[in-house]
Amino acid sequence: MSVQKVLIVEDDEWLVEQYMRVLSSAGYNVVSVSNALSAIQAIDDFQPDAIILDMLLTGSTALALLHELQSYGDTGIIPIILCTNIANEISLKNLRPYGVMQIIDKTKMKPDDLTVALRSVLP
Amino acid sequence: MSAVVGEHEQFMDGPLSDGLPSFVAAAHELKSPLALIRQLSLMLEDSDINSSEQQRMLRQISLTSERALRLTSDLTRSIRLSDALFTLEPIDPQQLCKGIINDLAPLFDVHNREIKLVSRKHPLLLIANRDLLRRIIINFSDNALRYTESNNAIKINVAQLNSGNVVRLGVRDYGPSLSSDVLKSLATKIMGGTPFAIDARPQSSGLGLYIASQFADRMNGKIGVIRHHDGSTFFVDLQASRQLSLL
Repeated sequence: MSVQKVLIVEDDEWLVEQYMRVLSSAGYNVVSVSNALSAIQAIDDFQPDAIILDMLLTGSTALALLHELQSYGDTGIIPIILCTNIANEISLKNLRPYGVMQIIDKTKMKPDDLTVALRSVLP
Repeated sequence: MSAVVGEHEQFMDGPLSDGLPSFVAAAHELKSPLALIRQLSLMLEDSDINSSEQQRMLRQISLTSERALRLTSDLTRSIRLSDALFTLEPIDPQQLCKGIINDLAPLFDVHNREIKLVSRKHPLLLIANRDLLRRIIINFSDNALRYTESNNAIKINVAQLNSGNVVRLGVRDYGPSLSSDVLKSLATKIMGGTPFAIDARPQSSGLGLYIASQFADRMNGKIGVIRHHDGSTFFVDLQASRQLSLL
């Protein structure tokens, strides 16, 4: 089985480092970008199997990116895990149509939660 | 290039941003550093991490804690502004900024970023409270650090305006540019009585700028922002001191 690819879209560079640490040691091939615009390019180039997305992004918001991804057949099927500080203000039910499979609350998450979430959304 | 300037009293007592009361904005602002500290601590507890990586994580924890503490300290200071007397004195802004750059160097080093003072031939003096002015410039610098995406050094610039009556200290960043809509909304909010969140920089609730505007107001100054195609300059304008001209 080939190594699964994960794109992190997060603008806090130390948090990205932390996610990379966890996911790389779990065997994922990980790339990160800090804003929605770079994410679109990275999705084209890297073709991730899953995306870990911060809700409060610098530049365009995550919602704009979710809309954009849903506009295309190939990107609309990529499972998205939302990692956010405002988990209690958003609903998974409302975001499911945008490919969001799980929401992780950054203020409560444990390091392993990322890999657990990825295992549940990836084959 | 466009700029907006605000006076603190125009948005005193109002919600901080998007209808949020101040304590919610403060709580929101503190979530990010606390969540990061928690993640790093949990990682250190549970995993086999080599010693150099451990050192880096511990450094990140201490610097992130300092950032959170700065915010709480600024917030406390801003709430108690009306209870205290603030001595205004002639200050050499270049010297002050050199000290700030020195103090922030470890934080910028860990982020692989650079901050520098644009040097001036002729010294200037302004009238301010040293502690409050220092807090404003650190706030702008911290904001610039968080949002600068390129390798360009963040620059602190000291300039004379208004025929030498005003001294402007500006911190130039290279983050996402504020759109004209955001700038217009910023101006409307400042003039209309509501503090502002920078929509292109959504992790900020605008709390830092709100506090900075309070501090500037205490020194008879104003803060503002200039939009560039590749970033922004957040600045504080303060009254120039005439002491040098008397020499």
